[in-house]
Amino acid sequence: MASIASARIKREFREVVTSDELTRCKIKLELLNDNFTELKGEIGGPPDTAYEGGTFQLEIKIPETYPFNPPKVRFLTKIWHPNISSVTGAICLDILKDQWAAAMTLRTVLLSLQALLATPEPDDPQDAVVANQYKSNNKIFLKTARHWTNVYAGSTSAAEPEFDSQVKKLVDMGFDSHKSRVALSSHLWNVEQAIESLYD
Amino acid sequence: MNEQTTQEFDFKDEMIDEKITAQQEAIENEIAREQKLISDLIKLDSLLDEYSLEDTIYRSKIIELSANFSLVRKTRGDGNCFFRAFGFRYFEAIMGKPDEVKRLKDLANKICTDLNQLGYNSFTVDDFKDVFVEELERLADKSDVKLLEEIFNNPGSSDYIVVFLRLIVSAYLQKNADFFLAFIETYQSMKEFCSHEVEPMYKESDHIHIIALTNALNVSVGIIYLDRTDQTEATPHNFPEDSNPNIFILYRPGHYDIIYKN
Repeated sequence: MASIASARIKREFREVVTSDELTRCKIKLELLNDNFTELKGEIGGPPDTAYEGGTFQLEIKIPETYPFNPPKVRFLTKIWHPNISSVTGAICLDILKDQWAAAMTLRTVLLSLQALLATPEPDDPQDAVVANQYKSNNKIFLKTARHWTNVYAGSTSAAEPEFDSQVKKLVDMGFDSHKSRVALSSHLWNVEQAIESLYD
Repeated sequence: MNEQTTQEFDFKDEMIDEKITAQQEAIENEIAREQKLISDLIKLDSLLDEYSLEDTIYRSKIIELSANFSLVRKTRGDGNCFFRAFGFRYFEAIMGKPDEVKRLKDLANKICTDLNQLGYNSFTVDDFKDVFVEELERLADKSDVKLLEEIFNNPGSSDYIVVFLRLIVSAYLQKNADFFLAFIETYQSMKEFCSHEVEPMYKESDHIHIIALTNALNVSVGIIYLDRTDQTEATPHNFPEDSNPNIFILYRPGHYDIIYKN
């Protein structure tokens, strides 16, 4: 069975790396081993979103039963998004679960993930905290997502300097910088509440 | 509830998700070990063993059926049962008939063109069509039931055939969307219906799938409905309605098996 999966991935791999469309959409695919079971994906944040300018790395694992079952994909780059866990990078997307079809490809997956960044589905969340913020404090959500894109995905656009200085306050108190950022992001950047949660 | 606990909940949810997935995989593996994709021929009477003596409706219907039907092949209950049952039985009906095999092969190629026009990636679609046609051609000149059983019990070929049959249904429904749109309720478009209810593996089949497949391939199929309604006889239903099929499929709520007429 493994050979069916790897033969298919070989062909898909050729398709993704040669297609102009994918260069234009800032999508990349890289092999991590010789038997085509582990790959690294990369998608650029879509324009006019909080993820613009960022580059997001994805872990892609091909099951033995591919293409009859979907690839296992998660974000390696930390991201603030209702359908992606800010903790594990796990993704909630129907085509990676029960809506996968064998005629889909890794190209479909990468493009769908890019589309997911552009249009979150807060009613079908992976990360409840983020989804809640998206719905009830959308402005703060956008600024937070932009901030994460800046810090973790290397965008050079609006850095939200006041967020940086709030994180620095917590770091100066001895907290880890990522944990501080998560605590602040989860508490609408209220420093006191964030500190309280870190002590809990 | 403060936000921090929500965060932890979220993390727990993911672990539960993973556990559920692992458990589902374990169940699927067990089914795979215990039941072949397509069973050997068994006597229709042996279905009686599945029902208790008190279950008179099923028992009397099976006994009634055995006047005209004697043999059955069970299919694995993995959501693909209709497609696999149909595929097996249709291949069986045309094997050793080069003209019929050629007709199906030409049709398969034409459906690929349709799929490309509908925006499907040709290299993925061709993958499934190629396996479908290759396996079919191995049976063009000979009636070899052993080979047929081997093809349909090897997931490597069997699942490819199932996927291609699903694509045939999808192409047909999308091409005839104007007509079929009236029969789908919860979906906005035929494309959406197909990507949710037709193309994914393990999605169960309904009337609309059967109509589309039999129309697309111009094949007549009789479905024998065996259920708990009070009628004494199991209800046969032919697709298309006015046809006279020689391929029969036994339907019991949620599952399709192959059944052979005497």
